Amino acid sequence: MAKVDIQELNVWFKENHVLKDVSLAIKEHAVTAVMGPSGCGKTTLIRAINRMNEIISGSRTSGAVYLDGKNIYDEDTNVYELRRKVGMVFQKPNPFPKSIFENVAFGPKIHKIANGDKLADIVEKSLRGGALWDEVKDRLNDNAFSLSGGQQQRLCIARALAVEPEIILMDEPCSALDPAATAKIEALIRELSERYTVIIVTHNLQQAARISDFTAFMYMGQLVEYGDTTSVFENPKSELTEKYITGKFG
Amino acid sequence: MTAKTKETIFFVALGVPTVICLLAFFWILYLLSSGIGTLNWALLTTSALKGGMFEMIVGTVYLLLGAAGVAAPIGVLAAIYLVEYAPSGRVTHVIDQAINNLAGVPSIVIGLFGYTFFSRQLGLGVSLAAGWLTLSLMMLPIVIRGTEEALKMVPPSFKEAALALGTTKWRAISATSIPAAAPGIVTSVILGIARVAGETAAILFTSCVLITRGLPKSPFEPVMALAYNLFVQIVALGEPAQRVFGTALVLFLIVASFAIVAIILRTYYRRRQPWLR
Repeated sequence: MAKVDIQELNVWFKENHVLKDVSLAIKEHAVTAVMGPSGCGKTTLIRAINRMNEIISGSRTSGAVYLDGKNIYDEDTNVYELRRKVGMVFQKPNPFPKSIFENVAFGPKIHKIANGDKLADIVEKSLRGGALWDEVKDRLNDNAFSLSGGQQQRLCIARALAVEPEIILMDEPCSALDPAATAKIEALIRELSERYTVIIVTHNLQQAARISDFTAFMYMGQLVEYGDTTSVFENPKSELTEKYITGKFG
Repeated sequence: MTAKTKETIFFVALGVPTVICLLAFFWILYLLSSGIGTLNWALLTTSALKGGMFEMIVGTVYLLLGAAGVAAPIGVLAAIYLVEYAPSGRVTHVIDQAINNLAGVPSIVIGLFGYTFFSRQLGLGVSLAAGWLTLSLMMLPIVIRGTEEALKMVPPSFKEAALALGTTKWRAISATSIPAAAPGIVTSVILGIARVAGETAAILFTSCVLITRGLPKSPFEPVMALAYNLFVQIVALGEPAQRVFGTALVLFLIVASFAIVAIILRTYYRRRQPWLR
C-alpha cells in the first residue's frame, strides 16, 4: 500500500485554481521528487499533505489525501498530530531566533515528547540525523542565526526530525544554498530515505535525477507524468515532459 | 542657472529649516537650564507642604505607571488580535480607523470625556484611578500601533515553521512571534508613557489637585502632578518664572528619560535581531 495516496486533489486560492485533479500514490521509504516550472502547483501539492495550505486565507481543497489509508481531510483528523507525522523543510532556512538546542527541542517540548536528559538525547539524535552534530556539538547554546545558510537548513531538517515524523516534505530546500551546501543536503536526503518517506519539490532537474527514486512532473496545476525516476528521465511518456527535461521550456 | 547655484539654493533651502529646529531646541534647553539654579536634592525630596516637589514627582510617576498598567495589556492584546486573528474586512477596517481617530482626539476632549465618564458616571471622582483610565485612552493608540508594527516585522516564516511542527496557532504566535516582537512591544509602551508624561489637559479635571497632604493612600484619592502644578503656578498663582522653570525642567527630564530608555532598548535589541538587518 502506498504511504501517501492522493486522489482527485483540487486546491483553489480564492478564484485561482492551482491544483487540478491530481492523483498520485507515493511509496514509503523512498525519495519522490516533484518537478515542474514555477507556478505549476508543486509547492501547493506538498503543502496539501500536511494541510499547510489552509493557513492561507481564501484557500479551498477538495479530493482526498490518504495517509496510511486514512483521509487526512476527514473531519476527525487531528491536524496538529498530522503535522507532527508529516514534517516540513522550507525553501529558505527558517530557524527560530533561539539557540541551536532550543530550535531542535521546540517540537518535542510542544508535543510533550520529552524533557531533561531525554530531551537532550533527542536533540543530539536529531542533530546527528541532520548531519550537523559534529559541527555544533560544542556550541549548542549559540543562536541559530550564527550558523551558515547550509547549516541553518540542516538545523531545520534536524528540527523536523525531532518530533519523529514518518514523512518529510521538502520545498526546494537547496534553492538558497551554494553547491557545496547543496551536495551535503542531497547526501543527507538519500540517507533519510532509508527511514523516512521523503517528498521533495525541486526545479533543478539534475537534482531530481540524482536523488529521487520516483519523479512526478507537473505543469499548470496538473500531473503530467509520474513514474520511477529512470524511466521518466530516459523514456518520458509525455511530449511535455520530454520538452521540459531537454530544456525546451521551463 | 548653473548647477552650482542650484546646489547652493538647495543647500540653503534644506539647511535653514534644520537650523531653525536646532535653534528652537537649544532655546528651550536654555530656558529650562535657567531652572537648574533653583533645583537641589532637598527640593526634590521635600514635601510640597514645605515648598518642595516630592509629591508632584512621585504623583507623576504613579499616574504614568498606572496608566501604562491599564493601556499595555489592553493595547498589546488588541494588537495581537488585529494582526494575527482579525479577518480582513469591513469591521476590522472600521476598528483600524477608530484607533487612528483616537490618536487624533485633542487631549482636552479626552480630559472632558474622562471627567464625565470616569469621574462622574463611574463615580471615581477626582482620583488617581480616573487619571489612569483617562491617560490610558491616550496611550492605547500608540501601544496598539507600535505593537502591530513590531508583530508585522516578525518574518512569517517563524510562525510557519512552528505550525509545520504541529503547534496550535496561539502556541505558534506566543512561542515565536511575540518573543521576537517583544522589544518592539516594550518600546511602544515606553513611548506611550513618554507621550502622556507631559499631559496636562487629560488629568486637569480627572485626578489632580494643587496640594495634598502626602501621597495618595489609595487609587481613589486625588494626586499632585508636575504638569498640572506647572499650569496652575503660571495661570492661577503667577509664580516667579524661575520657580516654574525648575518644575518644567524636572518634568522634561522625566519625559526625556522615558524616551531615552525606549531608544536604548530599541537599539540594543535591533542588534540582536539579525532578521531585521
